[in-house]
Amino acid sequence: MNKKLLNLSALCAVGVLALTACSSSGSGSGDSKDSGKASGPVTLKFVAADYGDSAANSSTAYWGDVVKGFNATNPDIKIDLQVVNWNDIDKQVKTMIQSGNMPDILQTGGYADKVTDKLLYPAADVLSPATQANFIDTFAKAGQVGGTQYGIPFVSSARAFFYNKAIFAQAGITSAPKTWDDLKADAAAIKAKVPGVTPYALPLGPEEAQGESLMWELGNGGGYQDASGKYTLNSQADIDTFSWLKANLVDPGLTYANPATTDRKTAFADFGAGKTAMLNGHPSLIQKAKDGKVDYAATAIPGKTGPLKSTLGVADWMMAFNKNGHKDQIKKFLDYAYNTQNTLKFDELYNLMPVTKDTLATMSGDAKHADLKPFFDLLPTATFYPLGDTSWDNVSAEIKKSGGTAVSGDPAKVLGDLQKRAEAAAADK
Amino acid sequence: MSLKTGGRGRSGLARLGPLPWIAPAVVLILFVVLWPVYEMVHTSFLRISTSGFVRGSAGFDKYTKLFDEPDFYQVLGWTVVWTTAVVALTMVLSLALAQLFNQNFPGRRLTRWALIAPWAASVLMTSIGFKWMLDRTAGVLNTVMVDLGLIDAPKDWLGDPSTAKPWMVLIAVFVSLPFTTYTLLAGLQTVPAEVYEAAKVDGTSTWQTYRLITLPLLRPALLVGLVINLINVFNSFPVIWGTTQGGPDSATATTTVFAFQLMNTDIGESAAMSVVNFGLIVVMVLAFLKVSRWNEES
Repeated sequence: MNKKLLNLSALCAVGVLALTACSSSGSGSGDSKDSGKASGPVTLKFVAADYGDSAANSSTAYWGDVVKGFNATNPDIKIDLQVVNWNDIDKQVKTMIQSGNMPDILQTGGYADKVTDKLLYPAADVLSPATQANFIDTFAKAGQVGGTQYGIPFVSSARAFFYNKAIFAQAGITSAPKTWDDLKADAAAIKAKVPGVTPYALPLGPEEAQGESLMWELGNGGGYQDASGKYTLNSQADIDTFSWLKANLVDPGLTYANPATTDRKTAFADFGAGKTAMLNGHPSLIQKAKDGKVDYAATAIPGKTGPLKSTLGVADWMMAFNKNGHKDQIKKFLDYAYNTQNTLKFDELYNLMPVTKDTLATMSGDAKHADLKPFFDLLPTATFYPLGDTSWDNVSAEIKKSGGTAVSGDPAKVLGDLQKRAEAAAADK
Repeated sequence: MSLKTGGRGRSGLARLGPLPWIAPAVVLILFVVLWPVYEMVHTSFLRISTSGFVRGSAGFDKYTKLFDEPDFYQVLGWTVVWTTAVVALTMVLSLALAQLFNQNFPGRRLTRWALIAPWAASVLMTSIGFKWMLDRTAGVLNTVMVDLGLIDAPKDWLGDPSTAKPWMVLIAVFVSLPFTTYTLLAGLQTVPAEVYEAAKVDGTSTWQTYRLITLPLLRPALLVGLVINLINVFNSFPVIWGTTQGGPDSATATTTVFAFQLMNTDIGESAAMSVVNFGLIVVMVLAFLKVSRWNEES
C-alpha cells in the first residue's frame, strides 16, 4: 500500500515538474523584456483580433503595413504582432494573463474585466493629448471605469431601423414609421396585404436580447441603469415597453411567434431574403440587403412618441497593459496607429464605423459612403451598454438567457427577476 | 492485503502481485474519474468571478442559490418526465423492432444495417439536422406538412416549449433505438429454439409464449438496455443543446443542460448543479440495482 502511494506521488512529482518547466520558460521570456525597458531596442507585444473572414482580407496585412510605417520613423521599437481570430482571442488572452506573459497592447472586444485586476494603463498615460482629444466624446466616455478612461475605442457600429421599400409599397405605406403606433399600424397593413412576410422581426433570443431590449426601452425613456449607475431593469418605463411589445406586436402575430428563441442572424437572413419588412440592424445588414437585391432604407429607430435621438452604439477596444512598463513606447505606437490615414484605411477595409472625429468627418463627407450616412448621424449621440460596470458581463448574460421571455410571460415578473439578479451581481463585485 | 516493505530484486517485484498490471487502470481512474469529481465538488464551494478569478470560499451559498432558482424545480420535473418518457418509449419500440428483426424476411440484412444509421451519425449532427428540418422558414418538415394540408402555415416547432418537448423526445428516442434494439436482438437470439417448440407442443398462445417465455428469458438484455438508457438519457446533452439550447430561458432544459446554462453567469453554482446531478445518478443506479436484485431473488 505504501509503495503504491509512493509510486503515485513520484508520478505526480514528475508531472508537476514538467508543468512548471513549461510555465517558467513562458515567464522567463516576459522577464527578459522587462530588462530592456530603460534604453536600447524594445519589443512591444501586440495582440489584435482578426476582422477578416478569409486569408485574403486578414487583418495581418493591415497591421503589417502599420508596423512597417511605424518602424520607418521608430527603428528602436520592434512590434511583435499576433493577429488572432475572434473565436480564440479571449481564451488566448486569458492564458497569457494567467501565465504572466501579458501583451503590451491588446485590441479586442471588452476591457472592463482587466481594469478590476489593475492590469491596464489609464488611456491618458499611453495617448498624446491630441490623439485622446480626437475620439468622439461618447466613445471616450464609454471607455471609462469610475471616471478614468482605460478602454481606448478602436472601431464602432451603431443600430438603425431598416425597412423593405418594396414591401412598404405593396402594403400602401408611403413613409417610414416614426412612433410605436406608426410601426404597429404599418405592421398590421403589411400582415393584411403581404402574406408570408414577417412584418417586424423581433429577435429576443440569446444572441441579441440585450441589444434589441435596450433599443425598445430607449424609445420609452427607459434603459438598464439610472444616472448614478444603479440597475433599473424593472423600472416602470421598461415594464411598459415590454407590455406594449407583448400586447401590440407579439400577441397579434405581427412578429415572430416565439421572439424569445429567435436570434438576430435569423432576422437578418429573413430581411436579406425579403421575408421580413422591418427590423433594427447594424451596418453589416447593408451588404446582406444588397446581396439579396432588397430595396431597403435605413432611418432612425421609432420611439414611443417620436424617433430615437440616441441609438445603441457598440465598440471594440484597444488597451495597454502596465506589466512590462513600456508606457512611452506604447504611446508612440498608438499615436501612429490612430492617425487618420490608418483608421480610415481600416474602417473602409471592413466597412466599419469610425471612433475618431477626423475620420468621421472624412467618411461622412465622402460620397462613396453614402449608404452609411444614417449611421454617421447617430454616432455622436450613441448610447452604450454599461460597459464600464464590471458586473455588466454577468447581467448581460442573464438578460440574454431570460430577457426574451418578458414578451411571452409576465413582463413585470421576468424583469423583476432580472433586476434581483443584477443587484446580486452588482453587490458581488 | 498487506505488503511489507523491504523486499529486494525480483522477489520484491513479485510481492507486488497484480499491482503493476492494474496500476495503469488505477491511475486512469484516479485522474480521469476521481480527480474531476473532486474538482467539481471543490468548485461548488468557491466564489468565482465571470472572468475565472477565484475570490475565496462560498460555503454552501452556491447550493442555497441553486435551490432558490425560480427555474430549478421546473427543470427537475422536466428531467424526470424526459427520462421516463424517452426510456419507456425506447424500450417498447425496441422490443417490437427486435422481434421484427428476429424474423426471417427478405431484405432483413439491409434493414438491420439501416437501423445502425442513427447510431453511426453523431447525435449532435442528428439534432442539428432535425432542427433544420423543423425550421420555421426553410424546414423540410414544415413544407411537407403544409403541402399535405396537415397545418395551415409553417410553425416554429422548437420555439414553443409545448411543441419543442415532444419533438425532442422523438429525436432522443430515434437516436436511442439502434443500441437498445441490438441489445434486445442479441438477447432474443440466445433464447433456445427448443423452449419455443416445447411451448408449441403444450399449446400456448402467441401472447402467452411471449409473456411467459420470451420476456423472462430476455431479462438480462432488458436490464442492460434499461440501465444504460436511463443513464444516457438522463445525461443527454446533445439532443437538447442541438435543438433548443434549453430555451426559451430554461423551459426545455434538463438538469445537465441547466448546469451548462449556469456556467455563463456563475461557475460555482453550475458546479453545485453538477454535484446534485451526480448525486441523482448515483441514487438512481443504486435504487435500480436494488430493484433488479430483488427480482432475481423472487
